[in-house]
Amino acid sequence: MRVLVVEDEAKVARALREGLEREKYEVVVAPSGEEGFFLVNAEEFDLVLLDLMLPGRDGLQVLSTLRKRGLQTPVLILTARDAIEDRVEGLDKGADDYLVKPFAFPELLARVRALLRRGRTEQAVQLRLADLEMDAVTRKARRGGHQLDLTAREFELLEYLLRHKEQVVSREMLARYVWKETARATPLDNVMDVHINRLRRKVDEPFDRNLIHTVRGVGFVLREEE
Amino acid sequence: MRLRPRNVRSRLTLWYLLVLAGLLALYAGVASLFLFLSLREDFDQNLLEDLETVEEMLTKEPNGGVSLHSSHPDAAEPRIGHFIEVWSPQGALLYRSASLQDQALGSPPGPDEGLHDPTPSSARLPNGTRLRLASGIYHIEDQRIVLRVAYSQEALWRELREFGEVLLLGFPIAVLLAGFGGYALARRALSPIDLMATQAKTISAEKLGDRLSIENPEDELGKLGSVFNAMLGRLQAAFDQLRRFTADASHELRTPLTAIRSVGEVALQDQRSPAEYRDVIGSMLEEVDRLTRLAESLLALSRADAGHIQLLREDISLVRMGKEASSVVEVLAEEKRQQIDIEGDANLVVSVDRLILRQALVNLLDNAIKYSPAGSQILVRVQSGGDKQAYLEVIDQGPGIPREHQPHVFDRFFRVDKARTREWGGAGLGLSITRWAVEAHGGDITLKSEEGQGSTFRVSLPLAKVSSASPSKGGLQ
Repeated sequence: MRVLVVEDEAKVARALREGLEREKYEVVVAPSGEEGFFLVNAEEFDLVLLDLMLPGRDGLQVLSTLRKRGLQTPVLILTARDAIEDRVEGLDKGADDYLVKPFAFPELLARVRALLRRGRTEQAVQLRLADLEMDAVTRKARRGGHQLDLTAREFELLEYLLRHKEQVVSREMLARYVWKETARATPLDNVMDVHINRLRRKVDEPFDRNLIHTVRGVGFVLREEE
Repeated sequence: MRLRPRNVRSRLTLWYLLVLAGLLALYAGVASLFLFLSLREDFDQNLLEDLETVEEMLTKEPNGGVSLHSSHPDAAEPRIGHFIEVWSPQGALLYRSASLQDQALGSPPGPDEGLHDPTPSSARLPNGTRLRLASGIYHIEDQRIVLRVAYSQEALWRELREFGEVLLLGFPIAVLLAGFGGYALARRALSPIDLMATQAKTISAEKLGDRLSIENPEDELGKLGSVFNAMLGRLQAAFDQLRRFTADASHELRTPLTAIRSVGEVALQDQRSPAEYRDVIGSMLEEVDRLTRLAESLLALSRADAGHIQLLREDISLVRMGKEASSVVEVLAEEKRQQIDIEGDANLVVSVDRLILRQALVNLLDNAIKYSPAGSQILVRVQSGGDKQAYLEVIDQGPGIPREHQPHVFDRFFRVDKARTREWGGAGLGLSITRWAVEAHGGDITLKSEEGQGSTFRVSLPLAKVSSASPSKGGLQ
């Protein structure tokens, strides 16, 4: 999978390259709108990460020109502006998704995966990690054959973690997808901590191996190895 | 190019003069007319009297002509300007006074002339002299004659012209004097404006404390000045708030920045294990998270200030909003063995943006949970506040808020206890966001608190217009 990163801020570009390469993507970085435009025309990419505030040519301009030329590659916009109008404008000009800076890297990865998967969005019903199983329809979860007694919120939390197993999930992603809270200013951190603790008590404590891990400063991950 | 005076003062004076000149002209016209009419009436009266007198003085000559014979010797020949003609009804001229110098007083008489009561009419001699003329039919002995008597009106017209000249002479003088007077008056009346303009020029963002000086606060200009001063006051308050806000914001930014910097610098001072580095980076990321949240809150507030947020309103029961908010934070209460109770009329429906109002209520409940002791009760009470309002109160059993802090709890970055709140990660923006959210819905929020007896935050919101308290939406779930 080839990803083009159009980003003028060298530090951010480098972090994006390293982070994506670690996930086995092939990354090409274009430091300006012109160069990005040229590269998209010249080479094949599976995904474009486009910064909106670029020197030379504005990201939105690049995007609309590309779309006018019939380019189908999914485009994920990165920007520091998150006013609704900007968001709408970006999507109108043909962006597939939108991420506001400063974004959490796990969320970027999740969106990149979602965009690359586009078209085949089968939502698995049976979810599994090690001896943890979950049925998303009957809303039952078991570990090691034992039924887990979860509240609705705990179930949603565990389901989200399980759907993104072995990937770090940021607090913002949880707030948005589990609590449906769009405003990041809402104080949900404490609420999340309590829920994670309770989930641990039910999912991990009775068993000898922990599945729920905290990645300090980043978020949470559900995985087998410690 | 249109002639248009630049300043109000000249414009006022000009208008004043135009009106004055118009009035004077009208006055002069009317006065002249009346003078003329009254003079002419006397004139006509004399003319008619003379007609009678002259008739008596006529005598028939043997040759068929007529002569004027006066019983008064000095009146034998009429005065200058006194013209007489005598005609036979057949149109033969019987007598013409010498003063006419052979000019005719009009054509020979028609069959109707003099039949009616004599009425003076205006006429003109061939040499241009204006006349008043009266005629009548008389008999001298047995002969029917038509007698015409006319006076020259020239003296009357001269009198009128002189009167007009006097008026015209006075006219420009009066207008000129009035103009000066009007201009001076306008200048005097408007002088406070010049003063205010001069003062206003010197007031800048750095000197917002200055005010315009007002001579008389009761008059129109004084009121204008007061309005300006009040506006300056509001501007000054806004600037002060902004300054304080900026200072507070940079202070808030400095704290996590300091943490990131010192944690990083200390970690780099000697070799550490990968696990330790991981820990350091994690700690730095936590601070970044705090910065992100702060930036997010500030942005939300600034956008709210700019009025950029559109509310997606829907009708919803206030009790249900309370439940939604409490469902988000109730785990926190559970951890502290606190009880959140919600009571009230589920039929009170408000029209609100659910996400925004929920955030506001979550902030209130979050505060209540933080500051209330373990095991206490938090009551969410929904009440009707008359026909148009509904109240939602969040009542806690916490330590209360000291009276001196109460006016500031909704201020940005305000914390009752700076040190204590920091550990909760709050930046003191929660309540200002709450207040904004409530006010954006046309409501308001008040605080009632006694030290040691808990706090009550009361949100009042307008009820939804159409009381669509349908059981599906308004009822308890």
